[in-house]
Amino acid sequence: MESKATAGNSVRHGRLAAWAWSALLLAILAFLVIYPVMMLLLGTLTDSNPVTDGYAAMHLSLGNFFTVLTNPNVHEILGNSLLACAGGTVFAVLIGLFFAWIVVRTNTPWKGLIAATGMLPLFVPPLVAGVAWSILGSPKTGLINTFLAKAGIDWRINLYSMPGIIFVFGMYYAPYVYMFTASALRNMDPSLEEAAEISGAGPVRTLFTVTFPLILPAIISGMLLSFVVMLGIYGIPAVLGAPANISVLTTYIFALTSWAPPRYSTAAAVAMILMVVTGILVYLQQKVISGRSFTTVAGKAFRPRALNLGPWRFLTLGLAIVYLIIVVVLPTLALLVAAFRKFLFIRDIPSLFDAKQYSLLHFDRLFSNPATLTSIINTMKVGVITAMIGGVLAFAIGYTTVRSNAPGRRVIDMIATVPVAIPGLVIGVAYLWAWIGLPGGFYGTIWILALAFVARFLPDTVKALSTSLMQIHRELEEAAWICGRGTLSTIATIMLPLARPGVIAAMTLLFVLAIRELGSSLFLYSSSTMVMAVQLLGYYEGGNVSVTAAFSLVQMVILGVLIGITNRLSRGATGGVGRAG
Amino acid sequence: MKLTRRTLFAATLAAPAILTRRAMAAPFTPSADLVAAAKKEGKMVYYTASFTEVEQEVINAFNKRFPFVSISMVRASGGQLITRIKTEAAAGKLSADVIDHSDRGLMKGIEDLFQDYAPPNAKDYLESSIVSPKLWPRLTPAWSIAYNSELVKKPPQSWQDLCKPEYGNKQIGTVIAASGGTTWTRIMFERQVLGEDYWARQAATKPQLYPSGAPLADALVRGEAVIAPLIFNAIYPKKRDGAPVEIFFPPEGVPAVPYATGIPKTAANPNAARLFLDWALSEEGQAFTIKDQGNLTALKVPPFLPEGFDPKVAKVWVPKYEDFRDLHDKWIEEWNTVFGYRQ
Repeated sequence: MESKATAGNSVRHGRLAAWAWSALLLAILAFLVIYPVMMLLLGTLTDSNPVTDGYAAMHLSLGNFFTVLTNPNVHEILGNSLLACAGGTVFAVLIGLFFAWIVVRTNTPWKGLIAATGMLPLFVPPLVAGVAWSILGSPKTGLINTFLAKAGIDWRINLYSMPGIIFVFGMYYAPYVYMFTASALRNMDPSLEEAAEISGAGPVRTLFTVTFPLILPAIISGMLLSFVVMLGIYGIPAVLGAPANISVLTTYIFALTSWAPPRYSTAAAVAMILMVVTGILVYLQQKVISGRSFTTVAGKAFRPRALNLGPWRFLTLGLAIVYLIIVVVLPTLALLVAAFRKFLFIRDIPSLFDAKQYSLLHFDRLFSNPATLTSIINTMKVGVITAMIGGVLAFAIGYTTVRSNAPGRRVIDMIATVPVAIPGLVIGVAYLWAWIGLPGGFYGTIWILALAFVARFLPDTVKALSTSLMQIHRELEEAAWICGRGTLSTIATIMLPLARPGVIAAMTLLFVLAIRELGSSLFLYSSSTMVMAVQLLGYYEGGNVSVTAAFSLVQMVILGVLIGITNRLSRGATGGVGRAG
Repeated sequence: MKLTRRTLFAATLAAPAILTRRAMAAPFTPSADLVAAAKKEGKMVYYTASFTEVEQEVINAFNKRFPFVSISMVRASGGQLITRIKTEAAAGKLSADVIDHSDRGLMKGIEDLFQDYAPPNAKDYLESSIVSPKLWPRLTPAWSIAYNSELVKKPPQSWQDLCKPEYGNKQIGTVIAASGGTTWTRIMFERQVLGEDYWARQAATKPQLYPSGAPLADALVRGEAVIAPLIFNAIYPKKRDGAPVEIFFPPEGVPAVPYATGIPKTAANPNAARLFLDWALSEEGQAFTIKDQGNLTALKVPPFLPEGFDPKVAKVWVPKYEDFRDLHDKWIEEWNTVFGYRQ
């Protein structure tokens, strides 16, 4: 009897604790997500600024929203966005999946190098990618065209076009697909593939009928993430689309907020459209994943197997080298030329190699501005804080939604997914409205930036973590429970170590995203908390591509070094995102 | 205060300039008290809608004279800056000591945020350039036409030339009308001075559209666009540094855009702010923005004229404030339709 009562008590306590836990998570999400989104919704329905004009002065109406909905230009811009992102995603999946397979599953030489350099595009701010590719692929002055002309070839490339945007999107967001699929491939039990081959399936058939279907959640997560990230990118379509008069949602929203007077209510209404589109995509993703088991990490020892490609391994190496030249070498060369050349006017090829045209002028300018160094230091601080807080919160949410039966976990999952749909430029204003009134000296510190980044990238981090949590078989946790461990202890001794590659990948991703984030920083930075992305935009908008390029190179080097350090730290972890890049 | 006067900036600025242009700017001599008080504060925060690099040069020039005031800058585009100012002010967290903006209309709307301030040489300023006794034209940029001298063999000579078919086929780059107060001024000038059909004739040459002047200036140097109407201060520093560009002030008129700059009531470093603005508005400060950056000035007697600015040829044009305020939305929409720009 007595033991029954104790058991009853402990169940009751457990339930109470679960409720308290869910309530805590919901409270955090309410502050980080719901409150700012409500401010955004208010913005859609009114023309006034709720902070300055007061809530009393608001005229709530749906009129503004309908005006935007029926505007044919908005339809065209929405179409452009969907086309650019869908095309870019298809391209990114082709590249990312291929590379993941080469690196993890084949005996292609120099895999480590391919893996490391293949991730480099991730460190390049989109604005810089746009600038680098406009230097290379402009129809009039692009370096590639200068070389084509010299070689007597009539054909010219034109990246100031929709295919141009798709091409650059695909190349730069392939690493997202790569990150997800490589770690899934690495954690996959090869006995399944062996079974297929024993049954007589060839390597290609195995790849398409066993391997890829098994890592489908990773592929879909990577696809979805790269699609929504592309939807929110400003720099690439701004540089490549503007000369061809191609607008996408982000460039349109940026224009709306830049005009004097700014049109936030219109921008917010456009953002609502974006939210609906993304909401549908997220729903579809969950529909695809649900009802299937994707457990690939079981409590058995295995080692991912490398396919012997024979002489074909040189073909895969060749393809990898071509990709790296296009994605890393060419744009970096373009940036080097831009950063060291006094003026970017290049008459012909001899002028390109004229040493007199080169100097350290732009680096001098860059560092003579004290704001440059301040922005670098601030960015590092914000990046670290964001990765720490965001990593812990994402793990808590991911574990709760994927692994626990805590009450309200579906609601928690839903709310945590909402920010994915809101472009940074618009949510920046919402954060400003929502948080400026907080007591204490919160506004104007780097903490407000970090919190905004945590909230904004919560879906990305949670998604990245959930995928790796989903892959860990329940039997491992159950084993710990049977051995008498409690929930917290099981998390600490089983889940965390096994999910470590996923956790580190998520935190690294968060760090990189935070460092590059422009939209939500624009309204939250102050003179003492200036960050790199804002400073970079300042240089670009100031019309100095060369100083922009010089700063980009500095930024790429800093990121490269930091990612190198993260890699070292993560060595020895079970999967090793370190090795994935 | 309702603004009704017509800002006949043009005649007033150019005419005395011919007669009384001085050889050198009078040096700025602040009072010892102001210098001591500014020194004690030692820092200030500067909000501006001008370009980062342009303003960093201004700060460097100021610091050459007064190295003890460290200035941190917040730069944002016109619309974003106004949002930040209004929201910060409403929450009691406005951190600016000086606010500097290109749209006098928007600044007039938040006039109440500013304290009484006038520079020691207030009387030297053209009344027509001032929208409020608290706000001063620290900067007065003007429009010009620039071209890439390596690529354009037969350059245009006037605004009307920009409508000629020989400059068609995307050779011309132009900034979209909605980009801000400066471009709005130019397109008003085009329609009111160059003719009702000027936009249509220019649009027929199929110019490339740019979101703002600075990237266009860069594109011109690179040869992406080879001819472009540009704010002189956006392209002049590149020419000064040796870029292959030529710039001229067209004979039909030079649209100018006086800024509005002031010190908020809440400024934490009002003395440093005062010293900075006194200097920037002094003959010495204005001479700097003219000589080194290629701006005009709203001083009745300009200490210098920018390179290539001949007041006998170039007629400065400033819009009527009422038109500037009232025609905006309708005309921008029409411009967008004419140029096929999606909005």
